[in-house]
Formats: sequence, C-alpha cells, structure tokens
Amino acid sequence: MSVSSVIRRVAGAWLDGDLLYRFRRSPVAVAAAALGALLVLAALGADLLAPYDAFDPASANAADARLPPGSQGLFGETYALGTDPQGRDMLSAMLYGLRTSLVVGVASVGLAAVMGVLLGLVAGYCGGLIDAIIMRTADVQLGFPAILIALLIDGVTRAVLPREVHERFAMPVLIVAIAASYWVQYARTVRGLVLVERRRDYVLAARVTGVSTPRTLFAHILPNVLGPILVIATINLALAILTESTLSFLGVGLPATQPSLGSLVRIGNEFVFSGDWWISTLPGLLLVLLSLSVNIFGDWLRDALNPKLAQ
Amino acid sequence: MSGRPTILSVDNLTVRFDASPPFLRRVLTGARRRTVHAVEEVDFAVTEGSTFALVGESGCGKSTVARTIAGIQAPTAGGVSFMGVDIAAFRTRHAAMPYRRNLQMIFQDPYASLNPRWRVGRIVAEPMVTHGLAAPGPALRGKVSELLETVGLSTDDARKFPHQFSGGQRQRISIARALASNPAFIICDEPTSALDVSVQAQILNLMKRLQKELGLTYLLISHNLAVVAHMAQSLGVMYLGRLVERGDADQILTRPRHPYTRLLLDTVPDPHAPDRGRTRLQGEVPSPLSPPAGCAFHPRCPFAEERCTRELPSPVKVGGAWVACHAVQEDRLPHHLPGRSQGEIVSGGAT
Amino acid sequence: MSALLSVENLRVEIAARDRRLTAIDDISFTIGAGEILGVVGESGAGKSVTGTAILGLLEPPAALAGGRIAFAGRRIDTLDEESMRRLRGKEIAAVFQDPLTSLDPLMTVGEQLVETMLTHLPIKRKEAFARAEDLLRMVGLPAPRERLQAYPHALSGGMRQRVVLALAFCCNPRLIIADEPTTALDVSVQAQILDVLRRMCRENGTAVMLVTHDMGVIAEATDRVAVMYAGRLAEIGPTRALVEEASHPYTRGLMASIPSLTRRRDTLVQIPGAMPRPDAPVSGCAFHPRCPSAEARCRSERPPAFAVEASQVACWLADPARRSVSA
Repeated sequence: MSVSSVIRRVAGAWLDGDLLYRFRRSPVAVAAAALGALLVLAALGADLLAPYDAFDPASANAADARLPPGSQGLFGETYALGTDPQGRDMLSAMLYGLRTSLVVGVASVGLAAVMGVLLGLVAGYCGGLIDAIIMRTADVQLGFPAILIALLIDGVTRAVLPREVHERFAMPVLIVAIAASYWVQYARTVRGLVLVERRRDYVLAARVTGVSTPRTLFAHILPNVLGPILVIATINLALAILTESTLSFLGVGLPATQPSLGSLVRIGNEFVFSGDWWISTLPGLLLVLLSLSVNIFGDWLRDALNPKLAQ
Repeated sequence: MSGRPTILSVDNLTVRFDASPPFLRRVLTGARRRTVHAVEEVDFAVTEGSTFALVGESGCGKSTVARTIAGIQAPTAGGVSFMGVDIAAFRTRHAAMPYRRNLQMIFQDPYASLNPRWRVGRIVAEPMVTHGLAAPGPALRGKVSELLETVGLSTDDARKFPHQFSGGQRQRISIARALASNPAFIICDEPTSALDVSVQAQILNLMKRLQKELGLTYLLISHNLAVVAHMAQSLGVMYLGRLVERGDADQILTRPRHPYTRLLLDTVPDPHAPDRGRTRLQGEVPSPLSPPAGCAFHPRCPFAEERCTRELPSPVKVGGAWVACHAVQEDRLPHHLPGRSQGEIVSGGAT
Repeated sequence: MSALLSVENLRVEIAARDRRLTAIDDISFTIGAGEILGVVGESGAGKSVTGTAILGLLEPPAALAGGRIAFAGRRIDTLDEESMRRLRGKEIAAVFQDPLTSLDPLMTVGEQLVETMLTHLPIKRKEAFARAEDLLRMVGLPAPRERLQAYPHALSGGMRQRVVLALAFCCNPRLIIADEPTTALDVSVQAQILDVLRRMCRENGTAVMLVTHDMGVIAEATDRVAVMYAGRLAEIGPTRALVEEASHPYTRGLMASIPSLTRRRDTLVQIPGAMPRPDAPVSGCAFHPRCPSAEARCRSERPPAFAVEASQVACWLADPARRSVSA
C-alpha cells in the first residue's frame, strides 16, 4: 500500500507543481540547492575562474611549493589559497578537482541507475528464473563494500594495462567501479515497485490491448517508478563523490596529475602536521560543503515525496 | 433466445493457482503443496449484442473467468473460443492481435486503470496505435476527439492528466479507450462499484446507449444484483468457482431456483422495497484452498442432505435456466420459501 | 425531548495552501437516545468528516471552525484531549470500515475486549472475561470461548467486524458512530452485520450514527436519515418518509438513480454533472447547478432548513411562504 501511494504521490506532486511550492517554503532545501548550484557552476567554469591551469605541468613550480594562502610566488603570482607541494595554485587545483569529483559522481550514479533500473525492471516484470538470477547476483554484490570492488577492479586493470594506458583510463575505471557497487540499490527498489505496478489495472489494460512487453515496461511502468529512483540517485550522488575521494585518498583512484578533491586531501595529508594545514583542509572543506548540499537536498526530496511525513 | 450467433463460448473452464510455500520450505518443514481452486468447470456462451453477467460474492472466481477470457490468465483446463477461434491456439503475440483488437476490458478502479503519467489523449490513442488503426498525427487526434465526445467528455480533455478528473469521468476515459480499437466485445469488471450511485447511473446509461448504437456485446462482472438486473439479458451465478445457476436473467431474478441464488437475492438491501420478508444467508464463503466436498454450498444451505455433502450436482435444465442442485433435481425445494415472493418484479414499471 | 447528541451549526475547515476550504458548512442535527440515524451522501459530501468531528478525532489540516457539539447535555467540542479520550472509550464508541484498523494484530480478541473493559469499567478481570465471551456470543461469533484466544488475522472479514462490534458495545456506550461498517464486506455478510448492529442497539438502548453511501443499508437499518451534499445537510427526516417520497430534489434524484431489483426501467434517472468540490464552492444552494427545478433565488441565496411534516428540507421549494402561494 505504501509503495503504490508513494507512486501516486510522486506523480501527483510533480503534476500539481506541489513539489515546487513545498521547495520554496523550505529554507534549508533552498539554501542547499543554491550552494549546490554555486558549486556546480564553479566546477563547470573552472577554465574561466581558475587563475592557473592545474593540469599544465608548467604551472607547477617547485620554488613556490607549499606557500600559505595569500602568498606571492617567485614570478609575482598571487596564490589566494596557497600552493600544494608541487607548487600548484590551490584555488585552481580545487576548482578542477571539484569538476573531476562531480563528473565521477554524476557519471557513476548515472551508470549505476541505468544498470539497476534495467535489471530491476526485467527482474520484477519477468519473475521466475531471471528474477532469481538477477536478485541473487545483487545479494552477493551487496556483500562486497564499494571500496573493495573498486580496489579489485583497479588492481586488475593496473596489472593488465600498461601504466600510461591505465592512467588514461583511470577515470572510466573509477566510474565503473563505483557504479558496480551501487546498482544493487536501484535494482531492488525498482523490482519492488514493478511488482506492485505490474498488477495494476493500467498495465493489465495494456496487456489486454496487446501492447508488447518492452513497450509495457518502458512506456507504462518505467515512468511510474522513476520518482523514488530520483531520490536514491540524489542521495547516492553525495556517497559516490565521497567514495571517489576515499579511493583517490587511498591512492587507487585518480593519478596525481588529475587532481580530484580526494587526491588533493591525500597530497596534503603528509604535511598537515608540519603546519601546512591548507593543502588538506581546504579541499576537505569543499568536499564537505558539496556532499552536505547534495545530501540535504536529497533528504528533503525524500521527505517531500513521503506521504507519511508530509502534513 | 433469438437466432443471433454466439460470439463467445467458455467450455469446461478450470483455473487453479499454485499457492504452495516455496520449494525449500516444503522440503524443510514438510509443508504440502496447496492449490487455489479459483474456477472449476465453468460453461457458458454469450450471444452477440447481448449482456451476459457473472455474479457472486468476492472470491467466487468471476474476475478470474474475466481475466482468462481477456487473455491475461492462462486456463488450467478447458477452453475459451472467441468468434469461433480457440484463444489457446495463439502461439505468438502477432497471431493474437485480431482477437485483442476485438476484445477490450473496463476495470473496477478508475484510479488504477489509467496510467497516471500519460495524458488522456495518449491513453485513448494507444489501442489504435498498437493495432495500426490510425496514423499518428491529425487523423489520430481526430479519432481521439471523436471518442472523447462519444463518452461525454470534450476534445480539450485529451491534453489533461487522469488525476485532473473525477472517478466517473475517469471511467468514461476507460470506456473511450476500450472503444478505440472498435471492438465487438467488452469485458466490464465491476465497472461501477467504485462510483457513487448518481455517477453509477450515468455510466450504466452510457454503457447501454453504446451497446445499442455500436452493437456491442458485454460480459458484466458484478456483485451488485440490482446493476445486473438493470443491464443483463442472461446471467450466471457463481459460488466458490462453480456456476450454480445460469440462464435467462429475468427468469433467474424473478424465479430463482438454486438455494444460493434465492438467498443472495433475499440479502440485497433495496431502498425501493425495504420491508420485504427476508431470510438471511448464514455463514461466510469457505476458502477456495479447500472447498467443501460435494456441493460447495452445502455447509450454508438450509436444504442440504447427506447426498449434497458427497456428490457434486451436475446442471440440469429447469425452464430457461441450468441449475446445479440436488434439491432442485429431486424437487424437494419449497416453491415459495426462502426467497422473495414470486411475481414481485414489475418490469419496465416506473413510479 | 432532550437529545442524546446535538450538533449545532457545525463548521469544519481544511487549511489549504493559501486559503481555508470549507468541508462542513453549518450543519445542525440531533440524535435521540436509542435512535439509529443514517448519514448518507456521495464521496466528498462530508459525512465521514462529521463523524470524525463528533469523535474529536479531526486531524490537521482539518479543524473545527465553529458551532457546538453537545453529548448528554454536556458540551464536548471544547473538552481537552484526555477527557475526550475517556469519553470515547466509554460513552461514545466507533466502528470503522476496515476492521483491521480497529484491532491490534498482536493481541488476542479476548485480551482486547478485557483490556478495553478494565480501562473503562469498574470490573474484575474474571468478570471481564466472562462478559467478553457473552459479547462474542451476542454478536453471533460461533464458538465464542475458543475465539477469545484467537488473533485477528485468524478470523475472516465478517468475523473481525463482529469482534469490532463486540468491542464497541463492551462498555455499554450510549452512542456508536459507525462509518461505513459494512462496505468492505460481501452482501451476505453485510446483512448479518447490520442485523447484529440493529439488534444490539435495540437491546441495549444504544444510539447509532450510521455513516454510509448505500441507500439500501439506510433503508434497512435506520430510523431517521440525514442526506448530506457538499458539506451541507440537504434533508433530514424519518427514513420511511424520505425513502418513499423525498422532498429535496437531490434526494429524489439520488433515489431514482439507484437500480432496483423490483422496479426495473430502461434507463436510470441520472443527475447531470458532479458535486462541487470544496476548492470551488457554489453560491446560493450548493445543488443549484445540477437541480432540475433551480430558480434565480437558488443561485444567490442559500436556503435555510424548512419543516416539511416531520422532515427538515434545505430547499426553496419547501419554503412555506412559497407553498402557501402555490396552494
């Protein structure tokens, strides 16, 4: 009962513009969304906003290494947020790092959602053996934490591929690794929703009319299970960004030449106790802000679509 | 009845569901397989252009019969032949398309039977698109407008979503969708039981008008005997998966033979006749997981004898109806009681 | 005659986004001791909200916005939560459509009955058990002693509703508010439950407010009936008179739209259109857009309740001034 009423709620809420109304009345959600939008804009505009190109090895200057925020460089550069151990401008590195983190997060969540939704649809609608195979695979998958899977994939690709090739494919590998550990949640949710939807009269009406199975699945059922998926995806986005950072921090994510927020924290980690706090702390802070804004928005979305919490 | 052809015949239809616990539990705990006897050996035929009603209490199997005829439930045994073709013979989706075009369905819950994410125009157009009856574009839009007007809605309604309509209006949309592929036969599964009475009257009148204008045949599934009396020419009364009485609607409603039919008719509250003497139907319908032996109605039947508890009665013809009851066959039923006094129905009489 | 329950000018409003919608618009009626009053209307007419308001169970966004409710001479709409709760268990009982919502799935039938009695009656545990068994026998539950040990899920729908009736009667309430008590049940079981309700009321002198959408149930079980339309009372009067010859055009239309086993006709009388929704209220008489006899006055002025024999009818057609002119 609750699942189907959630669906009715989602559909109704969107169509009525009710969601927008509730959004405007929630200052926390508005603040989180505004902060999130600001960070996304900053990441997208990294090329324009960053004073230096963080990917250009020429911008790294060993003489300017580990300068505190507000320092002047050897050639008169201004480092508003200081420099890292390679003498890169922290502000530029963080902007590019933010972009990398967002790209990895969005792409892995998107991939996980597509995989999970497809498998969940098929499992829920077909049932029987297909359902059993997909869902038991999912159960096994759940036994492995994301980091373990990512380490595994990273380890295998590192062993198989030559170093330069591996670095070039580091980001896709990371995305696949994170997606592989998150699809289960989507598959389970979608399967549960499909089990409810497929017995509903509008689906039966389509079957009576002779509508083909793929069309029934994608045109009829899929739009009605997307609401909860959106909520999961939003909350997972923050998780995926943190997973990327964790992996990069552990050194199995992106190489140092491709700064992400996680790898920046890792680089700075060695110097925290020698007083160079900004190298680790500033990207860490940005990471907190990013995941906080996404998380708060996701929480609000989940509550807003939950009929039991809505007054 | 008249010499009109039979459009649908259901022969010896049996549908059973497996309700066993999962395999592992059966092995571990020794739980036995369990079968729901939803429909047992049901026989009836529907004449073109008429309304055949299946009535009974919840769990009697009437909706399962409807779903089997609609081709969304496979029969365990027996068959359904529609316009002279056995529907079990369809091997592919393609082969079944002409049958699907000719047979449509209206559902009980007007809130669940329309896809909440689709606009009304797209919902109504879908059968035509599926069967290639109209090319997308102005021709299709014109057909949709025409259908919406036929059921009493306006052309502009095509752009709206289902949730913008009331229950009665949604049922009109369902009817428009059912008419879209120009079918000969419509299964109406409790079409008005979710609606208020004044809206029910609107929908029943609409259904009757469409039947007259388009020559439709209806299979009406309902628990409401007054609705059935208003709509149907012939009917079947189901109890625990079996037809206990079937035949001419007027005869069964005015002179019911089977004790269950008599008591069911007696039970219906009728605001137009509140004070008629009535006998109550005792007890409740047993579980279809373990139907009683012999005649399934015997535990609740005031006329049950020893034979009823062990031997299944086979239908015999009494006047214009077939009745499956030992007491009727042995002619040991009182002619008046229980049940309504005879000749009470004033046909066509308005006050 | 002093009424057991009297509702005067009751208003219930629902807080919406930017305004307040009127769910119950100024209704007044009484229920005498031992009387069965039917409240009938289409979905959205406000019949359930009325019952909920009397029970003091309105939940936001719905709230009382005016009028008074008096029970046995004492005003109850202003009572605090705790006094109302005590009143609800003992003096006023409720029966709802779905018996499962009224029963605790984790307690046996006997425990629930005994628990309720111990809370409200000065009675010993042993006596309570004996009384619980009697009650189950009275509501027609077969093998009552064994059923005391049963959990709700082990009972059929009809048996559960019998247990709910036993629960409602266990503290000898003076009023029972029954909201669609038979709607979820099969016709044969529905008739049994109504019989039990009626018999128990007669035996115990309990009054009932029977909320339903089914005119058949009203005709079978009630003494008087109130017809609600768009949050207002259209007509209230003795069931017999109302069923045989209603005065309000809405009631007449409603009765004529019901298909009958005994009086069959080719087409049913239908009331065109639909009931106005609270977010789009109608001026004057709420029924005028659908009324076959609507006049200019109906569009602008809301009709008060006029007495027509033993009934009260909110319709300008029943205005004595007008009737004396036409007579």
